[in-house]
Amino acid sequence: MSLTFSPRLLSRVGQRLQPLVLTRHSSSLTGLERNNPPSADVSRTSSLVKDERISGHSAEPSASPQLQAKDWVQRLEGLSGKARLPRSVQAVYLRPLRRKAEYGLPVCDLQLRSYSVRNVEFFSDFAIRAAYYLGLPVSGPVPLPRIVERWTVPRSNFVHKKSQENFERITLRRLIQVKDGNSQTVQVWLAFLRKYAFHGVGMKANMWEYDSLDVVENLDRAGPETEKSLEGLLSQFGQRQDTKSDDSLVEILNKDHLVTLKSPLSEVGRR
Amino acid sequence: MSMFRNKKLDLGGFINGKIIRDHTKRRVFEANEVERQALRYVIRNTTLPQRARAQAQLQLAQMHAYTRSTQIRNRCVAGGVARSVFRDFRLGRYQFREQALAGELPGVRKASW
Repeated sequence: MSLTFSPRLLSRVGQRLQPLVLTRHSSSLTGLERNNPPSADVSRTSSLVKDERISGHSAEPSASPQLQAKDWVQRLEGLSGKARLPRSVQAVYLRPLRRKAEYGLPVCDLQLRSYSVRNVEFFSDFAIRAAYYLGLPVSGPVPLPRIVERWTVPRSNFVHKKSQENFERITLRRLIQVKDGNSQTVQVWLAFLRKYAFHGVGMKANMWEYDSLDVVENLDRAGPETEKSLEGLLSQFGQRQDTKSDDSLVEILNKDHLVTLKSPLSEVGRR
Repeated sequence: MSMFRNKKLDLGGFINGKIIRDHTKRRVFEANEVERQALRYVIRNTTLPQRARAQAQLQLAQMHAYTRSTQIRNRCVAGGVARSVFRDFRLGRYQFREQALAGELPGVRKASW
């Protein structure tokens, strides 16, 4: 802890401790516990504060239950040998889990793009974990070729072409492919990724859907429904009512605003 | 042309006369695009009578210059400069350099290879 190395901070902690220690009978438990870890460090290093604490101890009755509560650092140390983290938390520290693809049919290609490696790596990791919990087998992230754009501009705002400067922008890409997953689940996955989109990471997805061999029959069956759903759109399709005119082409071409010359001389001539 | 210009300023960001003019040209072109295309169609359609096609040709030639798409020029949004404007950033080269060095363009950094 950096506290132990800065004497100025130390003294301040000491000052803060003093009223706390003195009013320990009445002070709330939470306030004390929050201040305990620094106080432990301080007591190890500064004799002044230590004395105060000892005096505080001797002054107050030792029966209070708060004193028997162990420091949280000690408690954690005691735990670390015996207990383990929950599996879901542990998994965060390990490589992402994956489902195994049974048939290996590609269903969805997700491409992540970013200018920073950290962001794109982090988000692809996140996407793979999300896919695991949704039961989607994924492969990847495949690092696709980087897109390098370079620009060369003169350093000055005017002439001096001999002194130039180069700039570049490197787009990093990762491909995550989902294999034989239900298309609706894939959509849920994509929606989830979109909801928790990471800053500076772009996403692009291609989805493929597979159908049984009797496609034609299915299409025939789905036809009337599709038409019904399209009715609203198709009714809006066509020529705009306000632009419709029964004029022939010649009449349109002879329209006044097209025929008259917009110059002062023509105005004079018409008069 | 002042007759096309909006009475009220309808632009934000960096503004100068040339930018306003370019903006006006874009608006006028958009408003007249359909008419232009119709005339072009009449001119090129060989099944139409020759007279109508010639008429359409004349009329197209008489339309205002601002209705032409060739009048539109990309300009730097930060300085109004018309030359060497990057399409990716809509910035002139000097503005691009300044902003890139200031780290205002995401992902753009100094290159050395």
